[in-house]
Amino acid sequence: MRVYLGIDVGSVSTNLVVMDERREILHSLYLRTQGQPIRTVKQGLVKLQALLDDRYEISGVGTTGSARNLTAVIVGADTVKNEITAHAVAAAHLVPDVQTVLEIGGQDSKIIILRNGVISDFAMNTVCAAGTGSFLDQQAARLGIPVEEFGKLALQAENPVRIAGRCSVFAESDMIHKQQMGHSLPDIIAGLCEALVRNYLNNVGKGKEILSPIVFQGGVAANAGMRQAFSRALGTEVIVPEHFGVMGALGAAILAQETVRQKGNTNFRGMSLVDQEFTTRSFECSGCANACEVIEISMDGQPLARWGDRCGKWENSLSASLKIS
Amino acid sequence: MVTVGIPRALFYYYYFPLWRDFFRQLGAEVVLSAPTNKKIVNQGVALAVDEACLPVKLFYGHVVDLIGKVDMIFLPRLVSTARKEYICPKLMGLPDMIKASGIALPKLIEVNIDMSKSDRALKQAALALGRYFTNNELRILRAWNLAKFSQQQFEYLQADSGQLALEALELWNGESDYPRLQRQEERPRIGLLGHGYNIYDRYISMDLIQKLQKLGAQVVTAENIPADIIEEEAARLPKRMFWTLGKRQIGAAFHFLKRPDIIGVIHVASFGCGPDSLVGELIERHMRRAKTMPFLFLTIDEHTGEAGVVTRLEAFWDMISWRDAQCR
Repeated sequence: MRVYLGIDVGSVSTNLVVMDERREILHSLYLRTQGQPIRTVKQGLVKLQALLDDRYEISGVGTTGSARNLTAVIVGADTVKNEITAHAVAAAHLVPDVQTVLEIGGQDSKIIILRNGVISDFAMNTVCAAGTGSFLDQQAARLGIPVEEFGKLALQAENPVRIAGRCSVFAESDMIHKQQMGHSLPDIIAGLCEALVRNYLNNVGKGKEILSPIVFQGGVAANAGMRQAFSRALGTEVIVPEHFGVMGALGAAILAQETVRQKGNTNFRGMSLVDQEFTTRSFECSGCANACEVIEISMDGQPLARWGDRCGKWENSLSASLKIS
Repeated sequence: MVTVGIPRALFYYYYFPLWRDFFRQLGAEVVLSAPTNKKIVNQGVALAVDEACLPVKLFYGHVVDLIGKVDMIFLPRLVSTARKEYICPKLMGLPDMIKASGIALPKLIEVNIDMSKSDRALKQAALALGRYFTNNELRILRAWNLAKFSQQQFEYLQADSGQLALEALELWNGESDYPRLQRQEERPRIGLLGHGYNIYDRYISMDLIQKLQKLGAQVVTAENIPADIIEEEAARLPKRMFWTLGKRQIGAAFHFLKRPDIIGVIHVASFGCGPDSLVGELIERHMRRAKTMPFLFLTIDEHTGEAGVVTRLEAFWDMISWRDAQCR
């Protein structure tokens, strides 16, 4: 049976999705990247190996996320796609008439506007990561609550307090202040969710025409408090797809299927790649005053790819079989 | 021969052919600072006041790059280049900021260019400039006329034959005898808005133009639009735009909206640009109101990571191609 693999390596999580020809998800994995993308991808593949027996044949691989190029070199990807397109593709597959995609991940948040199944506008957070998953993680840890429970507590709120959500540093001090005043924990957490939603809609969502159906995805969609805050703020129901946490990976798998359909074969290195040793090193090129930081990825000591140089001197010096970007 | 240094920043991208040929005709050798690199950026950021925008900070770095290589540095003050219009205040104050920065400067060639009341001010400025080299007014005016011809050629290359400033400038900056002229092919065209000193600087724009070309687009900028069209389009605003550079952007934006061959518009602004915070907002509003033109706004500063820009560009390109495929 032919299956397709999508890998989304983000700042916080690494997600893998295996789907069949009919685009049904067979397996999905949600791993923490913990700053080691290569090791995490390998771990994911080892886990998949245990789940997939000989009947399954990986016929296409797509990568996305901030480590998409690195991952693509390592696994031998058929398609490398930015996360905005990947998320839109996945949302449009699951909810064909979707008009708005709200996506909040570990360190970025985006809004994608679709009309008639085609992206018509998008935005991504710029300099500020307030209100993304990392901040919720950190607050949950500070309050000693598992992040999974965090959102549920918000639902018990009777009277959400108003938290200043402009900046995560100020939000934290405001939360502490409200705690010391004696507000209940659920009220504070619900207030925080509302503040983050307000912040998202005013920054990322500024000037965008948010029409339903609205799909809310990304790791933060797991948070019931955030889901509730979004539907309250937008005054309409917000759809959270079953596989909300791995939508980027699903999009990458769908795109891989399309690519392979066109070109006929896959570049996937095969599961044996988990036994191979991948190393990266970086060095400062001394060719000119730019002093570019060049990154080199090697497999078993053989350089596979290089990038980071503005002039392309290092990048082009390798006849890599895979074209980056 | 006396050497005159010109920082490869700000108005270099608009007026270099004029300046180069004027100084050359007066017997000077013209030396440019190196193309922007990491060292120039770092020096500029370290020396400039915090409130300045990236292109202004960069100018400091280019001035430093020229020290020790030239006898004099050309540091004009551009107040106004057209009647009742002005250049950004930060650029007006630039010579003072540079002089107050504590950099050990060589001799400066300074001139005030203020055409807000009368065009004749330009000739006066040319004479004042020329006197740094000779007292012969006739010789100065002859040099000025020849230089003006160069500038016209440069503008013609951009406005009439669709060349981008960076390639056209190669004819004057000595990098190539034959500019890599862009062929006007039938490729999807992207309208690129933004000040010349941002979009043509390959370092701070993170090679935006080359990245777009690699994706398969032909890039059209405000400089590729004849001045009369810019004027006509900008006049559609309910109130006259008195910033020359802002007017150029807004006129180009309106023009792009009318062109069926332009399939998307990208606006690049530097963080901390006062005029752009207003002009950018106006452009975005008009683009959104039109609803038909895919639009992307990019902000750049010295902290901008390339990854974020690449992700947005790729997504923007996907969006356009996707839409294009569906229309067919």
